[in-house]
Amino acid sequence: MQPVILLKNIRVTLGESFSLSVESLALQPHRIYALTGPNGAGKSTLLRVMALLISPKAGTIEFAKNDSHGPARQRQRVTLVEQTPYLFNGSVTDNLGYGLKLRGISSRERSELIRTTLAIVGLEGFEQRQAKELSGGEVQRVALARALVLKPELLLLDEPTANIDSNSLQAYEALLRALPEYGSTVVFSTHDPSQSRRLGEEVLRIENGNLINRVDRQSAETVENERSLEYDA
Amino acid sequence: MGYWGDSLLTAFELILGFDREVRMAVWTSLYTSSCSILIAALLGVPIGLWLGLNRFRGRQLLIALLNTLMALPTVVVGLLLFGLFSRQGPLGPLGLLFTPLAMIAGQTVLAAPIVANLVLAAVTGADQRIINTALTLGASRLQAAIQLLREIRFGVMAAVIAGFGRVIAEVGVAMMLGGNIRNSTRTMTTAIALETSKGEFAFGLSLGIILLSVALIVNIFLNSLQQR
Repeated sequence: MQPVILLKNIRVTLGESFSLSVESLALQPHRIYALTGPNGAGKSTLLRVMALLISPKAGTIEFAKNDSHGPARQRQRVTLVEQTPYLFNGSVTDNLGYGLKLRGISSRERSELIRTTLAIVGLEGFEQRQAKELSGGEVQRVALARALVLKPELLLLDEPTANIDSNSLQAYEALLRALPEYGSTVVFSTHDPSQSRRLGEEVLRIENGNLINRVDRQSAETVENERSLEYDA
Repeated sequence: MGYWGDSLLTAFELILGFDREVRMAVWTSLYTSSCSILIAALLGVPIGLWLGLNRFRGRQLLIALLNTLMALPTVVVGLLLFGLFSRQGPLGPLGLLFTPLAMIAGQTVLAAPIVANLVLAAVTGADQRIINTALTLGASRLQAAIQLLREIRFGVMAAVIAGFGRVIAEVGVAMMLGGNIRNSTRTMTTAIALETSKGEFAFGLSLGIILLSVALIVNIFLNSLQQR
């Protein structure tokens, strides 16, 4: 199957000390990938590279259907939800409608898409709520809905559960697990190994700016178990 | 009632009686200031936005230049443009000297750096995530910059109002480039200067009261925007 995105020989340098290196990474459609690694390993940078927000110094990024030109059109295939998302001033509808307007979606179609997407993230009836009046968890969900409503080929989530309280975590994880059903390939970053195993069909591990391995969920569990045994011993 | 009392009474009579001289001066001030601030905004907002969003060699120098231009004495601007518009100057054949257009040009030079500088400050102080959020939702660089302007609209409006406050209260450019011609280029400030020197204190006071009222309204508006 043709990958949604293919990264080859990517080199990124940020400042004097940090660099990111990815020899090859191909992400398959409708799968959910967990991107793990310690803080500062380069998870967010890799997500920004895939979101075309950071231009690599070297290497290529290819999308499956390479029929659109220009960075803005390419960027419309990918959507990134930041760890602490920014909601624009205005209502929830204004926020969800922003990307749809850029894509020329009609007002009637926008309303319908916004209504159904808010229902997916559990925010029915939030259309007219003001962004500034939402709680932290609601902001996270609106930001997810704002990305999801665009039906991106690749949905990137940077530490999506970092600001979710423990009571809502289970429901939010169930929502994340269901995301590929809506047509997107999902990559989420986390520094929690157990979460990467719970949610990720494949686990991408990054250390010191290098994508060091890529394993399926079962192998990741084996590695983690072996590590636990080593610690126990 | 004394000098002040009598003058104040006459001033209010002139204002409430819609005296033609007063009306014309107020109109010329509002007209030239509004035109100049509109042009200054069209120039200053993109410059401030561009300087705020881009990092390049010489940027600090440009910002220092903008800061210097903000403090330009009005008579210096008047003097330089007088040299351009006077009959012997390079733009002399256009015949702009002592017309409202020359005043608008001079006031634009005064206001544009203020607008650009305050927009730059608003862009620099804006949430750094705005641009990336817009980009990742599919915006082009220009569309993302426009979205940023929407997000900092109160700062941009405050910049424009501050520029307006500067030009409506200035006297040097209006005097030197307008020439203080009755019913044509006489503004509130130049009329105050002239009439007071002629001993018409009450007339000057009436325009002073209107000018102060405009300044007060502008500042109240500015304060309310800055608190948002």
